[in-house]
Amino acid sequence: MRKILFLSFLVFSFGYSQNKQVLYDFNGLPQTLLLNPGSKVTNKYHVGIPLLSQISLQAGFTGFSAYDIFADNGIPINDKIRAAVNNFGKSEFVTINEQLEILSGGFELPNKSYLSFGYYQEFDFLAKIPKDVIDLFYEGNTIIDRRYSIKKLSSRANLLGVLHVGLTKKINKKWQVGARAKIYSSVLNASTKNNSGNFYLKNGNLNIYNQHLDNVNFSLQTSGVVLNDQNEITPSYVKSNFLFGGSLGLGIDLGFTHQLKKQWVVTGSILDLGFIYNTKNVESYNVKGNFQVEGLQLVFDPNNPQKYWEEIKSDFDEDIILDTINSNYISFRPVKLNGAISYSFGRSYDYCRFLIDADSYLNKVGFQMFSTFGAVHSYIAGTFFYERKLSKKVSTKLTYTIDPFSFANLGAGLSMQLGPVNTYLAVDNLLNLSNLYDSKSASIQLGFNIIVHHKN
Amino acid sequence: MKNFKFPLIFLLAALVNSCTKDVDFNQIDDANIHASYIVTLVHFDLEANKFLDEINQEMNWTSDVIAAKISTESQKYLEKVEFTIITENSFDREFLINVIFFDENQIPIYQLNPTITIQPNSSSTKTIIIPQSDIDFIYKAKYFGFNIEMPPRVDGGVLSGNETYKLNLKSSVELFFNYRKI
Repeated sequence: MRKILFLSFLVFSFGYSQNKQVLYDFNGLPQTLLLNPGSKVTNKYHVGIPLLSQISLQAGFTGFSAYDIFADNGIPINDKIRAAVNNFGKSEFVTINEQLEILSGGFELPNKSYLSFGYYQEFDFLAKIPKDVIDLFYEGNTIIDRRYSIKKLSSRANLLGVLHVGLTKKINKKWQVGARAKIYSSVLNASTKNNSGNFYLKNGNLNIYNQHLDNVNFSLQTSGVVLNDQNEITPSYVKSNFLFGGSLGLGIDLGFTHQLKKQWVVTGSILDLGFIYNTKNVESYNVKGNFQVEGLQLVFDPNNPQKYWEEIKSDFDEDIILDTINSNYISFRPVKLNGAISYSFGRSYDYCRFLIDADSYLNKVGFQMFSTFGAVHSYIAGTFFYERKLSKKVSTKLTYTIDPFSFANLGAGLSMQLGPVNTYLAVDNLLNLSNLYDSKSASIQLGFNIIVHHKN
Repeated sequence: MKNFKFPLIFLLAALVNSCTKDVDFNQIDDANIHASYIVTLVHFDLEANKFLDEINQEMNWTSDVIAAKISTESQKYLEKVEFTIITENSFDREFLINVIFFDENQIPIYQLNPTITIQPNSSSTKTIIIPQSDIDFIYKAKYFGFNIEMPPRVDGGVLSGNETYKLNLKSSVELFFNYRKI
């Protein structure tokens, strides 16, 4: 049982993939191909600087911010904690996502399709925390018949390596489509979902109170967490699991770019449509049953001493069944959907007022949608954006996003080409830069690529 | 070049302005989360024959014991322990109940104070508190003994075993935790 509690804690302490609204469809960066394999790419070829081509960090908690608790404003911390607990929704969620591109590259094929490939490492986590669990911890169980439910308690964690190869093909003047195949190599996976059960206190008959655990059904699947006797967590073990020695899976990304009209473009993608077949160090648990206790009934029979404690433990073990399962299982990747519509305007002229490029515009405005859905949690985000080419070498993008963390998430991106070297930076929650601690979420992506464009 | 101005100024302003308002993480030392949990405890329903021996002679006391080891994980957060005892006594006799904690060698180390006194033909609710200074004994105890004493009647009368008297006891405990330095 203690092992389950530890593993549960582990699950509730790890991540999940999120919105990269600034990077999506930004300036033809190679990394946009990971968000939409059907993106327009005008490069001849690109090579990501190993380990530096994309460093992405995202974290968020919908419940409260660090500033809500630790603001140095004269209000006692215990009052601030109470306020945070009172404002806690029916369930809130916490996410952490980290991606590190180890290798990436791509080149244009003779038929003008673009082949891109690479390998990245990803750690993601999401935990959904019901208020009942917070209340039980914060207040205790002294309210008679108050039911503390674990129905909304769910979480998933995954640490994996992803090898991918994608092809972007222009079908005609209006359509460009792309697909990316992925091989996942999971180092660890843990998930708990579809849980149920109530804990509560009632007035008793034989005793003052009767304590109940009703309809408990809690399951926790793990792979790569509980190691067998042969394995220890060593750098070589983790490396081996990243490099296809772990549980393996397959996935696919699909995307398109559609030139609706000359200045109107619609794009869309579906990412991580795939699964991992968890086979390495698999251990799963299921806890199920009903239990109620009114206490220990003393019989005062010196000739027949009772083992009261053992009996109640035995009753508990009979009524609440713990199954430990070592069967392989399939876990699905959280699927991400992106969609955008944009309008481009503003021509670029040289000093003699000649049109520089008939196919390109300086400005782009539009609206993007992001949605992720999975068994643990789904959410949707909407983004208005403005992208501006400051020159042939420098582009910027500003975004305004409404998501579960904030109704005013302002983001910005900058992409610069210095010779063949491209560098980009995308950050969000700029409005909270004046007080980072007050932010409920933050994300940053940055990287360096060698990008070689066609000569005009 | 003028095209650069607005977005660059915005970006620079945002980045340069990046800072934090005053926060004090040392406040965590003052954080106290008080939570209390009720746990159902022992109960019994004793009839007159429990106070008679094999040859129907009245015994003035009876006892029982629970062997239980309490996990020490919660000890550093536990501040107060409050027992609630509800009794109903239809005997025309007084009862004294002592709850005694024993260590692993079955040596008494602590006794709930005061003794639970149950008057003849009475119903009562009592509260007994274990102060923080004595909480350590709960975790040291391996056995919890319940001794019930029925003092002899002043007039010398004794139980025959045919009486329909009952001594009923119900109990619970409220554990008061203070999660400091979470």
